Amino acid sequence: MVERQSPLEPAPLEPELRTGSHGDFEHGVDVILSETRPRSILQLAAWPGQEKELISGIRTVTGLALPDGAGAGSTDGVKSVFGFAPGKFTVVDEAEGLGSAFANVVTPAIGTVTDLSHGRTAIRIAGPKAEWVLAKFFAIDFALPAFPVGAGRSTMHHDVFAQIQRTGADQFDIYVFRSFARSFWKALCHASEEVGYEVQ
Amino acid sequence: MSPRRTDSGGLIDRLRTIRFTFDGAPYTGHAGDTLASALLANGVTLFGRSFKYHRPRGVLTSGVEEPNALVTVLRDEVREPNIAATMVEIYDGLTAVSQNRFPSLAWDVSAANQFGGRLLSAGFYYKTFMGPAIGPLKSTRFWMFCEHFIRRAAGLGRAGTAADTARYERMNAFCGVLVVGSGPAGLMAARAAADQGARVILSELEPRFGGSANWSGETIDGMPGADWAARAAGQLEGYDNVRLLPRTTVWGYYDGNVLAALERVTDHKERPGKGEPRHRYWVIRAKSVVLATGSFERPLVFPGNDRPGVMLAHAAERYTNEYGVLPGHRIALFTNNDSAYRSALALKKAGAAIVAIVDVRPELSSEMRELADEAEAKILSGHAVVATEGGKALSGIKVQRFDMANGALAGDARSIQADCLLMSGGWSPTIHLASQAGAKAEWNAARQAFLPPKPTQMWPTQQWIGAGAFTGSFSTAEAIAEGRAAGLSAAGGTGTPAALPVVEAAPGDPDPAPVFEIRADGKSFVDFQHDVTAEDVRLAHREGFISVEHLKRYTTLGMATDQGKSSNIPGLAIMAEALGKPIPEVGTTRFRPPFSAVSIGSLAAERFGDLRPERLTPMHDWHVANGATMYSAGLWHRPMIYGLSGETIEQAYVREARATRESAGIVDVSTLGKIAVQGPDAAEFLDRVYTNMFSTLAVGKARYGLMLREDGLAFDDGTTWRLGEQDFLMTTTTANAGKVMQHLEYFLDVIWPELKVHVTSVTDEWAGAAIGGPKARAILAACVTGTAVDNAALPFMGIVHGKISGVPVMICRLSFSGEMAFEVYSGAGYGTHVWEALIEAGKPFGLVTYGLEALGTMRIEKGHVTGAEIDGRTTARDLHLDWMLSKKKPFIGSAMMDREGLIAPGRLELVGLISLDNQPLNGGAHIVEALDEANPHDSIGHITACCYSPALGRYIALALVKDGKARRGTRAHISDPLRNRFGPVEIVSNQFFDPDGSRMHG
Repeated sequence: MVERQSPLEPAPLEPELRTGSHGDFEHGVDVILSETRPRSILQLAAWPGQEKELISGIRTVTGLALPDGAGAGSTDGVKSVFGFAPGKFTVVDEAEGLGSAFANVVTPAIGTVTDLSHGRTAIRIAGPKAEWVLAKFFAIDFALPAFPVGAGRSTMHHDVFAQIQRTGADQFDIYVFRSFARSFWKALCHASEEVGYEVQ
Repeated sequence: MSPRRTDSGGLIDRLRTIRFTFDGAPYTGHAGDTLASALLANGVTLFGRSFKYHRPRGVLTSGVEEPNALVTVLRDEVREPNIAATMVEIYDGLTAVSQNRFPSLAWDVSAANQFGGRLLSAGFYYKTFMGPAIGPLKSTRFWMFCEHFIRRAAGLGRAGTAADTARYERMNAFCGVLVVGSGPAGLMAARAAADQGARVILSELEPRFGGSANWSGETIDGMPGADWAARAAGQLEGYDNVRLLPRTTVWGYYDGNVLAALERVTDHKERPGKGEPRHRYWVIRAKSVVLATGSFERPLVFPGNDRPGVMLAHAAERYTNEYGVLPGHRIALFTNNDSAYRSALALKKAGAAIVAIVDVRPELSSEMRELADEAEAKILSGHAVVATEGGKALSGIKVQRFDMANGALAGDARSIQADCLLMSGGWSPTIHLASQAGAKAEWNAARQAFLPPKPTQMWPTQQWIGAGAFTGSFSTAEAIAEGRAAGLSAAGGTGTPAALPVVEAAPGDPDPAPVFEIRADGKSFVDFQHDVTAEDVRLAHREGFISVEHLKRYTTLGMATDQGKSSNIPGLAIMAEALGKPIPEVGTTRFRPPFSAVSIGSLAAERFGDLRPERLTPMHDWHVANGATMYSAGLWHRPMIYGLSGETIEQAYVREARATRESAGIVDVSTLGKIAVQGPDAAEFLDRVYTNMFSTLAVGKARYGLMLREDGLAFDDGTTWRLGEQDFLMTTTTANAGKVMQHLEYFLDVIWPELKVHVTSVTDEWAGAAIGGPKARAILAACVTGTAVDNAALPFMGIVHGKISGVPVMICRLSFSGEMAFEVYSGAGYGTHVWEALIEAGKPFGLVTYGLEALGTMRIEKGHVTGAEIDGRTTARDLHLDWMLSKKKPFIGSAMMDREGLIAPGRLELVGLISLDNQPLNGGAHIVEALDEANPHDSIGHITACCYSPALGRYIALALVKDGKARRGTRAHISDPLRNRFGPVEIVSNQFFDPDGSRMHG
């Protein structure tokens, strides 16, 4: 089995990609950056009126129940799902093959399945200063009451489209286009310098 | 011991000594000092030179409104001019210099300007600009002659040229209640809102929370105000729902309760911490806002009011109580209101002698008389200061009897010795943010000030609540009560009646006498920063500039960093008097952002030096490791050439292109836009989007497609592959991927919402390698498993699925180079793996990697169009693509593409050019029928792309030429005067090489 190459694999000239502590870590590490490398990242989209069918299909396949409301989502640590636009959901699984699992569930009458497992890179930012660092990038309210665990948001940083899911009280998974991943990662590292960060 | 430092008192840390320099001279101060307080403590009175007249200036205030004591702070190679010394916190190694003086602050040759007062009066620039009516320097020539000298002499600090190495960041913040200002009102508001559970941000432009509590000398809740404020701020720090932002100036109030603030994070530090930004630009989105921004004390306008040693009364009180610095030993006061009496007492208690309190009011309250007695000060009621004496420091004042009813002076002037004169002309609420938010200020005759309007006047989108001196409630007790109420209200709470902190304060009537100016001989300054005198305001009136907006622009009153903080009301009052109108009828200018100076770096924030993100293909690291010279194509980084040692760019791409045509070449095409078009109506949608038919395309086949814009002009081209009955993979040009995506989404969302089609960008899902050349098929055959790649299995525009080196791939036979070529797509994570496998398989066949230059060369040889030709002005016909315009169906652009102008003769059409002098051609060069190097004219078109063609052995180009098709076989000339390139060319077909496509079809 050929291993997938990550866009964040250490390159000789990119010190930020190396594991270890960086920035002002002598005063403590307040942010941990990592790439979660899920094997499956899907986009599911329902035709108008078919949203509930699709949500039900998501539950059938993943076991995750989606709460009502825009941007609502859920995660069990292995699989995650969140709405990122009306009738559209990102579904993620650590394991490969989620696309085929949905192939028979999301019928053409319900909507479409688009495999983005290679096209999106999942970056996790965790730690007590995760909200602080993300506030530098996105005009989004990251406070827990406004952005509960499981929920997702679609947003932009500069020209980088990003989907963000809160997967813990101080943990966020950010999905960016693969081609932007290294640039975005470096920007995250840069922004995390003042709080001290660790690359895992 | 510093000459002016008090023995005790103040909030400075006397145990910590800080060393700094001003104009090269070493000084010491204490932690907690500002540059202004530390210099005053060292006996420095001269801080700068004024804008026009270069008059010596001291420090007038103690805060952000300081107009005089502007300095330049030097940090390494970077100089930052025009910083108020009152806002610079000293740190070890601070290096500050004075401004606008030559050769030195003490001896400034331009001080002679003050004797040319008439010449340099209001409107000086405008009058100079007009110039004399006759002579060699008439009209604007005179300005051009003068400009050099004027620019040297006038102005503020000099900007540096060294690149700013500091770091700046932007922060986005959300809160329930933003409290601006942390005086007693702000502290109470923040606490009340936080207790209601609201998320609160409390911003304070000073380093210390507490505002006037830090220096008023008042007692709150039985403790000194400063202690009460420190305790209140400390308690707020313990709240999870409160964010405290010291050193943060809220400078802009925008629609929807979006406020902009500047946090000075490291300006007070010797060195920033690792990764620490110098400034943070906060964008705060607040549900509601409490404006507790306090008020500014106003100067009085009288001759010599700008002499070093003349200071606002509260500023002296603050220097004494907060910084432990006495601004003078023999102090006189000049006032139109009660607040100065408290200042007098504070200075007396700190050890100064109060030589006189000159009050314009004839009658004084008994409380004020008691305060004056306590300060052992002589009261001169019904008097005014008519002059100041001294050179670069005050030595005395002259006072005269004054009738405030008519402004008349009477009796003889008498001198009083004093080394410091404190003035108070009343107080103006700091209504800047409310004004920015659209609130129309209301004149309050009692307070002699513009106050913010009542809440009913507010715009619904800008929900602020005022508290404290901002509303004209100048007492601390009122501020505390209003602050609490505002905080409760802002948080949506009602609250239960609670005991408020008890304030012990000196008595005082908040209403001043309506006196702004003492008219006597000599320059009386209204705007200290811009050297605008009372006479300048009257001159503006005489010359017809009577609207406040014209007054401001003509005299420069209230411009630059002052922004009317100290000069606004006195200027208006003088204009009102000249007009014979009450002040409210004259009106006031609308305050605009920013409230105070904002670093440009903070606005650029992290975009500075890192303007664009980089887009990298899956094989990027391979390219770099294998000698590719990369360049940017939009956001993408792509290989330009894979140069060998000693090769020029031309040699490299010629070698790459030649080798591809002779054996095989491979290029990274992962950057091509790729859009998944899925759904039952996908085929129908593509029929509408493309000019040609896609519903007839079989599954497993691809087709070249052209899109037009709605206006009928060409938009983009590319191939679309049918992967399933309802599943298409559209490719677009690299440059237009985003635009095409938006175009498709727009039509699906707005025009045809009934179509069941989803479009998704899958550009990044696939790594793409295009392999072309006579040996390309053999190379694929050597490495692809699971499918045949011969002509039967994989005909032109056919698609097969197989594996390369264990990785699933999708291969489509299509060609951009004109050779037998294939695009091999794999999951992006396998891109490098597949790429390396193809390279390995290609070794026996002489496979070369090629970059964008060779790609461009081969496409020029083939006459294919790209964004250079589909430039938003060309039609399908102009590009000879009219064969793609279906007549069987309508499509986007079909209704407009036959407009008269788009089919008229004389349009620029795509042609090929061959250089006849065997010299390179340049992109953008014009084409002319007849060469006229001295006077180039009559362009008939321009070059869009050019190269050396190894296939033809000539320099060739694609060009858009007027009626180009009809000119084929004729000669013309290149006219490129900018690059001095002129020469003959032959106009030919754009299809230079293999026009019948025999190589591609095999």
